[in-house]
Amino acid sequence: MFVEAALEPASAGTTVIEGPNGAGKTTVLEAVAFLGTQRSFRTTDREAIVRAGATSAVIRAELARDGTPVLVEAELPTSGRVRSQVNRQPVRDRRDLSRAVPVTVFSPDDLAVVRGAPGNRRDLLDDTLRILDVRAGLALDQLDRVLRQRAALLRQAGGRLAPEVATTLDVWDERLATVGATVAEARTELVTALAPFVVTGYSSLAQEGVAAGSSLTSTPAGPGGPAGSGVVLTYRSSWTGDLASALASRRDEDVRRGVTTTGPHRDDLEVRLAGRDTRTQASQGEQRSLALALRLAVHRLVTERLGAPPLLLLDDVFSELDPGRSRALVAALPQGQALLTTAGPVPAGVAFAARVDVRTIGRRAAP
Amino acid sequence: MYTGPLRALIDELGRLPGIGPKSAQRIAFHVLKIPGEDAGRLAAAILAVKERTTLCSRCFNVAEAGELCDVCSDERRDPTVLCVVEDPRDIVAVERTQQFRGRYHVLQGALNPLEGVGPDQLRVRELLERVGAEGAKEVILCTNPNLEGEATAMYLARMLGPLEVTVTRIASGLPVGGDLEYADELTLGRALEGRRQVTA
Ligand SMILES: [Zn+2]
Repeated sequence: MFVEAALEPASAGTTVIEGPNGAGKTTVLEAVAFLGTQRSFRTTDREAIVRAGATSAVIRAELARDGTPVLVEAELPTSGRVRSQVNRQPVRDRRDLSRAVPVTVFSPDDLAVVRGAPGNRRDLLDDTLRILDVRAGLALDQLDRVLRQRAALLRQAGGRLAPEVATTLDVWDERLATVGATVAEARTELVTALAPFVVTGYSSLAQEGVAAGSSLTSTPAGPGGPAGSGVVLTYRSSWTGDLASALASRRDEDVRRGVTTTGPHRDDLEVRLAGRDTRTQASQGEQRSLALALRLAVHRLVTERLGAPPLLLLDDVFSELDPGRSRALVAALPQGQALLTTAGPVPAGVAFAARVDVRTIGRRAAP
Repeated sequence: MYTGPLRALIDELGRLPGIGPKSAQRIAFHVLKIPGEDAGRLAAAILAVKERTTLCSRCFNVAEAGELCDVCSDERRDPTVLCVVEDPRDIVAVERTQQFRGRYHVLQGALNPLEGVGPDQLRVRELLERVGAEGAKEVILCTNPNLEGEATAMYLARMLGPLEVTVTRIASGLPVGGDLEYADELTLGRALEGRRQVTA
């Protein structure tokens, strides 16, 4: 695709990135999102992000925040640690990056947030917490680390709980209980804060969908009101009571199996629609509307809390939507800087500040 | 690109922490330019540090071979207070605060199962022996304020619990997740001053 590419989007409003499929539109958004999250929204395979034949990729962005220029850089090798810098200072923790480059990504893969494994939903919550809540961001980074330390210790124990293993495990478990409780609490609060945004977002998206005569199966109107209402979010902990006791009671099993069987890394965000579990018991149309509503809720909450919208990355989202829901989504998005990719025409109702053909941004074409 | 001794020097320098290929090349060419006696002094210093420096037999700080370290051999230091650190470089940081007149104990690391470091890889047994043998009244846990350092402090607090000694932990206020080595002396000084008793 590219050896090197450079893009200067409009400083406010939407920049539309056009071009045929396979020309690298998503790669551009993926690169921008990577700066703020150290993760691709498309794949977990690092080899697939870095151009074939190269050993690393470099991403660089010049931003202006409150009028001050900020330089954010990431170097991602095909294997090993990703190195990020803000204003040429190394940044070790993802929470600091998330705050330096807050982004919201809408992509066709968002359906996985509703339909996929619990990890997709935890990521949605955790990415948001990293932007909004320094304390929770720190706890998330520590949780990740303490879980990896505990896993290593369990592996080394080889299935047996020798006394010296028990003593060291006590110490890690106490850390895990502390940061784990902080994470679960922060996620629960976040879910409560997101819920009203999800409900209003879903009802406008779903109603537009019905009005436009899409394949959306209409929800039987329950006591909660018309179709579209009745979205209920619940944070489901994988343990009851306090985490320290839960870890203690699971210890033998954890040692035997060599994995940590309870904790925030096993939790889930349950999304119910008129009483049904939307992972398995919702139509594709409902799932798509919910996925959009969840992203939109995050974007609006972050905008409200930060006082300015995160950089909005819309990867080919409108191709999957009927005109009604496209309109509803466009109307619901807060004004701010946005990058939008499309293989077709610019979706109706989208006011854009600039248009760029992705085939013109390469500085040197790959051989 | 380069061959012979120059290549070898660049390779060796490149293996040092914090030195990338470009820096290694720059330093190698610098060495090539300087007078022979300067290069000789550098080479001799490298050899001497390996030949003549070992770990202090009491506290595991760096010391000249066969001797106690500077702190342990200083009669004026208070043997009843022990400050436990991860690394000899942390001693330098604590000394800069000029707040501490006791002795040290260097663990030579922190608990880190991911890197295969458990209690047996650290100088924990030696610490427990010293507390009894040297009549320590207080042990200050001065491990790094990051996850591994906190876990290590907690582990030591448990192990020291049954002994007749007061166990304290440096106060928070240090940048969370940071290293002592990079804390400024004022902040670290305050953290030492504000240490609190740990009950395991
Ligand atoms: Zn010594």
